Amino acid sequence: MHPDLDIVEEDPEADRRLLEALADWCDRYTPLVAMDWPDGLYLDITGCAHLFGGEAALMADVLKRMRGQGFDVRAGLAATPGAAYALAHFQSGAIIAEGAEAETLAPYPLSALRLAPDTCQGLESVGLRVVGAVLSAPRAPLAKRFGKDLLLRLDQAVGRVDESIRPRRAVPSLSAERRFFEPIGTLEDIEQLVLTLSTSLQPALAARGEGVTSLELALFRVDGTVFCLRVHTARPLREAKLIQLLFHEKLAAVSEKLDTGYGFDLLRLSVLTAQPYVEVQNDMIEEGNSEVQNIALLADRVEARLGRQVVVHPMEVASHIPERAVAHVPGTALIGKEKESGPRSTFSRPLRLLRMPEPVEVTAEIPEGPPAHFRWRRMHHRIVRAEGPERLTPEWWRDETGETRDYYRVEDGEGYRYWLFREGLYEGEPRLAPLMKEKADEEARRIESKIAQPTNPATENEDDLRLASPPLPRWYMHGIFA
Amino acid sequence: MAVSALAQERLCALRHEIARIEGVLPERLAAPSADGQTADGILMRRSGRGLPDGDLLPSHVEPLDALLGGGLPLGALTEIHAPTARAAGAAAAFVLALGSRLLQREPQKHLPLLWLGTTEAFSEGGLPYAAGIRETFGIAPQRLLFAEAPKLGDTLWIGEEAARLPDLAGVILELRGNPRMLDLTATRRLHRRAQAAGRPVFLLRQSAEQTPTAAPVRLLVSPAPAALRQTLDGPLRGSLGPPGLELTVAKSRIARPGTFTLEWNPHERRLQLRNDPLSNQAANRPSRAYPTVPGSVVSLSVDRQDLAPAPGKVMGFPAPERRAAGG
Repeated sequence: MHPDLDIVEEDPEADRRLLEALADWCDRYTPLVAMDWPDGLYLDITGCAHLFGGEAALMADVLKRMRGQGFDVRAGLAATPGAAYALAHFQSGAIIAEGAEAETLAPYPLSALRLAPDTCQGLESVGLRVVGAVLSAPRAPLAKRFGKDLLLRLDQAVGRVDESIRPRRAVPSLSAERRFFEPIGTLEDIEQLVLTLSTSLQPALAARGEGVTSLELALFRVDGTVFCLRVHTARPLREAKLIQLLFHEKLAAVSEKLDTGYGFDLLRLSVLTAQPYVEVQNDMIEEGNSEVQNIALLADRVEARLGRQVVVHPMEVASHIPERAVAHVPGTALIGKEKESGPRSTFSRPLRLLRMPEPVEVTAEIPEGPPAHFRWRRMHHRIVRAEGPERLTPEWWRDETGETRDYYRVEDGEGYRYWLFREGLYEGEPRLAPLMKEKADEEARRIESKIAQPTNPATENEDDLRLASPPLPRWYMHGIFA
Repeated sequence: MAVSALAQERLCALRHEIARIEGVLPERLAAPSADGQTADGILMRRSGRGLPDGDLLPSHVEPLDALLGGGLPLGALTEIHAPTARAAGAAAAFVLALGSRLLQREPQKHLPLLWLGTTEAFSEGGLPYAAGIRETFGIAPQRLLFAEAPKLGDTLWIGEEAARLPDLAGVILELRGNPRMLDLTATRRLHRRAQAAGRPVFLLRQSAEQTPTAAPVRLLVSPAPAALRQTLDGPLRGSLGPPGLELTVAKSRIARPGTFTLEWNPHERRLQLRNDPLSNQAANRPSRAYPTVPGSVVSLSVDRQDLAPAPGKVMGFPAPERRAAGG
């Protein structure tokens, strides 16, 4: 090895990330970008070339910008992915017209065909060293000897069979973009552009009768880095101002991580999902927003800023376990829907429930009653009055390990009211599984004793009965009353 | 007496003058007249317009409302302090008592109440529990919205944004301690937005010191022993009935302090003043006039000469004197 060689270990993960970043960047040319692991990208530029001044100009632009970023890059442009692959690998910068694939590819070596290595070797061993030779060879023997794959690759390269690339992302139904000669870098400018872009989406949305439910803003930095910001909305949205507002929150949230560097030269706003939008005739005097929409918008903005659903609705669930009895559903869809709820507990429920029951240290325990004293959060409390117990057995159909709880509503000397419970029974928890097993064992023993001679069954039973004493019940604090 | 009345009148005139200059006082000013009789409250506002009664949120506890000049200001920030995290239950009860009034104001609109807090406050004081809220205050879960943010800055931001929504019946913002971020400016922003929207923002604070804020009213709430459950038999000893709370008006524009022991009446769904010292006393000391055995169905004739024996008491030997659980 040459002493000047710099040897670096291969890092496939980093290579993969780099290629994906490049693919992101290539989104500026076309939304249809497919990966060709480990070192290639397919760009389907159908219908995009005219935006860049033609196919040749587009390819020149790609090559120039990529080289500007410091990559050694080759490209080929053809009507089929197979031919483009061959060009990129053996004649960078070339463009072949549709129909001319076969003659252009003819002098290329076999590796231009994306074949498996052993197929290549096999073909070479019989003297077929270039694409043209394989193309002119009779097809039936080739298929017989080298498999259908060879013919497929051949046909794909010359365009006899259609081949589709697999784009990385679904093409957004709508998108609007803006390019700049002078890169922009301030958040205010970006917000202003979001407003402009979303305004330009309006006619298309109106024509489809849709409103957006999720949007992506792609920011292409001059040095090739791409940032994608997504916002979601609870209900379809069309107003440009509101879209801008959502991105305002998103940008405020990511402003620390968003390194503007030398600025962005392309902004694209894409509609990822859209839903039918019910147009409401606005009142001439009043703002036409219903109350639900405003709250929904607040929830969306909060989600855009904090990155997750924060505004939740409590909803009662059919369960007698206190922490399960109320579920919290994100979103604001339930507002105004007064619905009849199920049967209610006749026992008092606290106003506030602790996230998790907190263990309390009981200093003076009274069996089968509330404790006289307990210690919670390093404070000593003396119970003056208590109501209870309310016994809640576990939901055995959900989990078999739950334990019975005895809830007490207690008040201490200062008037604080708590919800305490004792978990576990003094005599141990009755379990369904052991009970069934016991029953089955008993049955088996009965049958056994019938068959065999009864050999001192008394001692055997005694062994079974000597069970380990159940663990002592534990006390927990679960809630605070009014 | 005459001198003090004169001084009071002058004081009142000065207050009116200040109110006129500030121009934003949304509360009544009690103006004592010369003969010692309290005249009707005078309402002051910018440009001298009177304030409609709808802009006050009365608690329907008369002495408290009188002290606050008719009730809490509706479109304003109101601070409610709980001395400890444990007292957050009582403070929440007071806020929800007001909240249930608030939700009844525009029943056809189904406006929800947003309860917002930092993760810290909810971890210490417990999460609001919709089942208990519905049971005690009759607020349907659909009328409640909860939000929780880990950072104070985010929580305040959501609070500010929510405060200006006219489509929320009100906002409860729960914080813990005395964070530096919650200064005069931050509370003023909240107050202004609440004023603009005409909706209250209740700043529920756990274990916080009283520091200057923009809230015109500050109340301190701590729990008081619960009253006894009322049965046909009279109060049931050792039971936990309507919850009590002790309310101190620490700050109001009229600046008259006061402490009240209130009680939430879950049947009539209203706050009331606890004026029954007997039930309080009975909670702690057993009174012989009440039957010692809970469970008699027929009410006893307490005030007659010959007491009918309570059922269950007829025994061969005298029953030992029973004591309430509290002793």
